[in-house]
Amino acid sequence: MSQSDAGAPAEKRPASVVYKREKKTKASVLFTDALARYSITIGGTLVILAVFTIMLFLLWVCWPLLDGGRVDGTRKFALGPASAPFLESQMDEHQTIAVDLQPDGVIKAFHVGTGTPIEVPTFDLGGQVATAFASTLRGDDILFGFQDGTIRTGKLNLTAQITPAEQAPVDLRKLDERDSTDGRQVFSRIPGQFRRTTVDIALDAPVQIADAGVAILKADYRFGGTAERPLRTFVTLDAMGKLRLTQAYTEINMMTGEGTTQLTNAEIPLTAVAADVAKILLNTPGDRVLVVMRDGKIYRYNTRNFAKPELAETAQVEPAGVQVTAITYMNAENSIIVGGSDGSISIWFGVDRKSKETTDGIVLTKVHGDFEKQPAAITDIRVSQRTRMFTTTDAKGNVWVRHGTTERTLLELPGTPDGNGLQATMFAPKDDGVLAVGKNGEALLWKINIPHPETTLQSIFGKVWYEGYSEPTFVWQSTAGTDAVEPKLSLIPLIFGTFKAAIYSLMLAIPIALLAAIYTSEFVPPRTRAVVKPVMELMATLPSVVIGFVAALVLSPIVENWIAAIVIAFGVIPLVLITMSFLWQLLPQPVANLLDGAPKLFAYLLAILAAVWLSRQAGPIVETAFFGGDFKKWTTGEGSAQPFLFLVLIPASFVLVLIATRPIYNAAYRLNLRDMPRILAASRELFGWFIIAALSLGLAWALSMLLQEVGYDARGGIVDTYVQRNALVVAFAIAFAEIPIIYTISEDALNAVPSYLRSGSLACGASKWQTTSWIVLPTAASGIFSAIMIGLGRAVGETMIVVMATGNTPILDVNIFNGLRTLSANINVELPEAVRDSTLYRTLFLCALVLFVMTFVINTVAELVRQRYRKRAAQL
Amino acid sequence: MSDPTATTAKPILPVRRIARSDLAARGEPFVWIMGAALVIGLTMITGFLAFVIYVGALTFWPQPVAVVTTTQGKVIAGEPFRTETFKPRPEQLEGASPEARAQVEADLGIVERTLYRVGNYDLFGEDFAWVSTFEVKSTTYPKDMYFTERLEWGPFVGRMKELDAAGAKQASPTYKQLRDAHALAVVRRAEIARLEKVEIAGINHDIEDLRLGIRRADLEYGAGSPEAAAAKARAAEETAKLEARYKVLEQKVTSLRQIDETYAVTLEAIDGQTKTLPLSNLVRFYPANDLSVGEKWSIYGARWIEFITTQPREANTEGGILPALVGTLTMMILLSLAVAPFGVVTALYLREYAKQGAFVSFIRICVNNLAGVPSIVYGVFGLGFFCYILGGSIDQIFFPEKLPSPTFGTGGMLWASLTLALLTVPVVIVATEEALAAVPRSMREGSLACGASKWQTIARIVLPRAAPGIMTGLILAMARGAGEVAPLMIVGVVKLAPELPIDMTAPFVHFERSFMHLGFHIYDVGFQSRNSEAGRPMVFVTTLLLISLVLMLNAFAIYVRNRLKRSYQVGQF
Repeated sequence: MSQSDAGAPAEKRPASVVYKREKKTKASVLFTDALARYSITIGGTLVILAVFTIMLFLLWVCWPLLDGGRVDGTRKFALGPASAPFLESQMDEHQTIAVDLQPDGVIKAFHVGTGTPIEVPTFDLGGQVATAFASTLRGDDILFGFQDGTIRTGKLNLTAQITPAEQAPVDLRKLDERDSTDGRQVFSRIPGQFRRTTVDIALDAPVQIADAGVAILKADYRFGGTAERPLRTFVTLDAMGKLRLTQAYTEINMMTGEGTTQLTNAEIPLTAVAADVAKILLNTPGDRVLVVMRDGKIYRYNTRNFAKPELAETAQVEPAGVQVTAITYMNAENSIIVGGSDGSISIWFGVDRKSKETTDGIVLTKVHGDFEKQPAAITDIRVSQRTRMFTTTDAKGNVWVRHGTTERTLLELPGTPDGNGLQATMFAPKDDGVLAVGKNGEALLWKINIPHPETTLQSIFGKVWYEGYSEPTFVWQSTAGTDAVEPKLSLIPLIFGTFKAAIYSLMLAIPIALLAAIYTSEFVPPRTRAVVKPVMELMATLPSVVIGFVAALVLSPIVENWIAAIVIAFGVIPLVLITMSFLWQLLPQPVANLLDGAPKLFAYLLAILAAVWLSRQAGPIVETAFFGGDFKKWTTGEGSAQPFLFLVLIPASFVLVLIATRPIYNAAYRLNLRDMPRILAASRELFGWFIIAALSLGLAWALSMLLQEVGYDARGGIVDTYVQRNALVVAFAIAFAEIPIIYTISEDALNAVPSYLRSGSLACGASKWQTTSWIVLPTAASGIFSAIMIGLGRAVGETMIVVMATGNTPILDVNIFNGLRTLSANINVELPEAVRDSTLYRTLFLCALVLFVMTFVINTVAELVRQRYRKRAAQL
Repeated sequence: MSDPTATTAKPILPVRRIARSDLAARGEPFVWIMGAALVIGLTMITGFLAFVIYVGALTFWPQPVAVVTTTQGKVIAGEPFRTETFKPRPEQLEGASPEARAQVEADLGIVERTLYRVGNYDLFGEDFAWVSTFEVKSTTYPKDMYFTERLEWGPFVGRMKELDAAGAKQASPTYKQLRDAHALAVVRRAEIARLEKVEIAGINHDIEDLRLGIRRADLEYGAGSPEAAAAKARAAEETAKLEARYKVLEQKVTSLRQIDETYAVTLEAIDGQTKTLPLSNLVRFYPANDLSVGEKWSIYGARWIEFITTQPREANTEGGILPALVGTLTMMILLSLAVAPFGVVTALYLREYAKQGAFVSFIRICVNNLAGVPSIVYGVFGLGFFCYILGGSIDQIFFPEKLPSPTFGTGGMLWASLTLALLTVPVVIVATEEALAAVPRSMREGSLACGASKWQTIARIVLPRAAPGIMTGLILAMARGAGEVAPLMIVGVVKLAPELPIDMTAPFVHFERSFMHLGFHIYDVGFQSRNSEAGRPMVFVTTLLLISLVLMLNAFAIYVRNRLKRSYQVGQF
């Protein structure tokens, strides 16, 4: 076009006439050009930047996972001196009111925002002062024990009620922006409504537990049952050294609202001195009582049989010379946190080791001990109600926030109001604050923010010892039924699953794709190639959801029904093909030449169909003969291991036989063959093949018998219990997606080998096969390598196929007949349910980042190798 | 190596050469294994396509209804659905006759069985029944068996016992009578649907708009301000009007329904149970064993039309896929609108403007690799960045009255398209770069020599030549977008979204809406529905549609690419 425009006017003008040309470019052209240059440069750079931002964004989202916590603010309130040390503190979940309880039943309450005192009722203990105090982990069910051997249970609740804005009382004293009070309760303004927070208390009548006049020294209390039929369980230790477990079962009359209480007592045989007991711990079902001695000895009583408690185990939780100064149950009441006089912290729980030492086989085990030591003796441990966090207070007044499972110190809250230490700390119900009351009557509130306490690099990529497990493991279990079970977020099972799927599928895809590529590039006539290659590339365009669907709903039942046939097909197909190839050699050379090309493809097809038919027929027979009639049952461990070993060993023994027959089947033998007529030579070769095949089958049989004698069994490794949606099915399906990629790229690489190399080789008298294997393949090796790497990249990122065709079970199991869960499938399954900015959400972003980095590295390696190969191929 | 040809070629003295070739040197077994690998690959793809096309195309073909009597005296009537072999457990063989058992024994315990679609879910509690071949006593195809598709409860297989046309009862009605009565019932159903879905839904939409208007006024002028009060009064007035209209329409619908219910048909299942339902509840019915070829074709065609043009029913396992089709196509168009300018501009920059060097080739490698990054990663990015950060900000600025329920702050059409655009931008960049590189240097030089500026050269010489290549890249990107499901599941695809992204309510395009997608439809119906067996035909047909769409796009791309090659050959000089 431009050519003709430029040429036409030149012809019309006589050459001699000087034509004056406007030399100046129009301003508009210059302007457009500059505009285009800048906008394209800026646009292009921006798009490139935007694409690279993906990685940075993913990193930015998952970075907070590794953050500890931070303190958002500290508040100090003067409560005034207290008549006695505080027993416990409580705060509501909106951090409106905080209360502190004294042994004489007096409650001090104040508004958290400003420290303004709030008038609240007090417990009327009849003038007595509690000698023992216990509360549930939430702190709202409490128990006092007294000098006279009685106990009183009660409730101390901070309740919040939502009322419409109109119903709020008018004459309120304003406390701060949000809150106002009438002196006894706090009203918080929330959009359109008011929240009224009050302190509600209740106290039950005294119950005589110990003999009259014998003081209760220690107690623990749990509240269970339902609202209508509360079941209170408590364990008490009196000054006489008697340890009693008591259940108070109350039936509330629906009409009158009055309750009748039934008490049952059981005495627990205690051998230790009562004065040395540091603490007694009870769990909510009431089937376990721990008596903790000051010297670190723990007596664990099994009280499952209420009437007959038994001492199940005696454990030592502190080394000699260190005393237990604080101990408590963690949320869910399985683990205990032990604080020592040397500032050490350790976490213990019972692991079922089927031990003979204890009556129930469970051994109290130190699970987490690598906590940072605090500078002074631990005086108090308070646990979070929803996570595995807890605070530890030491004698110097430091409060540290830690996480149990990861053994991490999240925050070190410094200082103390007076240097004399703190007496009652508490963890805010939403884990967003820590309240501590000093002995001088000053309270400290730290507003804390620890969004992801449970994740560290170790917990994501390393082994973690979770509660209830007998050893540290890699587990992915993102959601649990209750807060009591912590989420377990190890990426290792997912990364393992990713590579399991990728490797099994590559084991299928590489042979098919590479061999097909070599054949297409070297043996197929160009016209056939022009059809064959696009058809194979068509495979790459199939949406993976379709492949996954067919794999899961059509292929997996077929594989399940015909598993034996499929297992033996891996051996039958090559055997039939090789036999057919030797038979093919029997054809006279002109006929063979004539059939070369497209007709030969049909011969291959026939051979494959024959092999498939043979496997299908033989499947049930082999299943009956070798696998006791049911392959799936066989995988669970029934029957003999030998037949399967035999099948697996065939390729290896084939190679062995080939090596062993090398001295016979040598150059001289082949020279000899060459001088024979073709038909004779081909028959000799066929005969030789039969002998080799028979020898390798025999060798495989012998080897498998030998291995069985040694006691080796393939089951338990890569072959184990069969599940319907398994790695084999996924391997087939992913192979489907990988084959066209590996095929196309390696075919291109083979094709790029300069043709004069081939011509040279052929001219020297090498056959096509020799040229291929000695000239073309080595030249194209790096290109083929990059094809495999790109195939691996595709397999690693495949999502829908894996989601649909595996059971999505995140397990570490190499068994080819078991399911798996890959990183990508995990994201796909869990992200739609994940709450924004939650730990799971960020962990899934981390999964994406890991996937991104993995594929990016794989692809870059492939690309670099390919570019080097291109350069080299160009130089040849 | 010990190549005999090489050793014999060495001597200088003329030797007799043997023309016969060495059999081992030909490596025939290796050639066979390689050839077989290629054939396996080809068989996989052709077999896969043939299977999907065969099953998908056959799904809507009316099958005969077989009445099977088993040796145990059980009678079932249903469409044969599929046949397979299995290994029965011993207890499944207990009722079999001794001969049957001997036969099973001889076949190594493998038995053939057929799945019949027996329908009548409301009566039987299941849609399907397996019948093993050895238990069949007789199979007949009675001419009066009808296969009936209903709006609810799936198909009904049985006889037409009675037709009740507003009191005029007719026992054992003929196919023609039924069809005439049904044609009228369909008109009534369409009218009711129009009133409900268009008129009443429109009124509801207007009322919701008014409510949001009040909230917006509150937020803008402060609650209790005179402007807000005025808005409230206006809205109350309008709402009252709308509600009056709503009452009238409701009345109309009720009376129509009452009339409609007087036209009923009584169906009788094979076991004698009967079921009476309004004629308008039937979607389609036909005497399955008494159809001419022409009638079969017309049913086949009608089913395809229903499939393409109607909304899904019965948890997506029946009815059509119109929303999924529209969703997929809209997304593809949005995607190409987004991806084309960015991809082309980047490629232009990389190829024409950037200084070629180590840095640009590094960028090129990275762009290439981004095409290999798993799609799900882009989905994660799309959710975090587009939906939550961009969408969240848009909501706060433009739609504060709807908060906390998100408008753009959640997955939707726009974000899904942008995510896929990001995913496919490397494809377009690579394709465009290749197309630009393929434009001969001489053409550029010629243009520049004639005094054209760089941009003029690009715009008038380079881009037109590269256009087919760019088109190829775009089409491939669209094909990839059509087939991707994983990222969409995170950024906006849902199982049921009857509201299309483009409709008749202002502003006509609703890119914030979540949408349905063919690929996700396959996943959802095949794996998430109550009865995956009943949904299977639907899945196969949807698969066929999706594959045809993707293959058509790819075929078109190949066609464009081939034309491009040819036009270069002409253009080169």
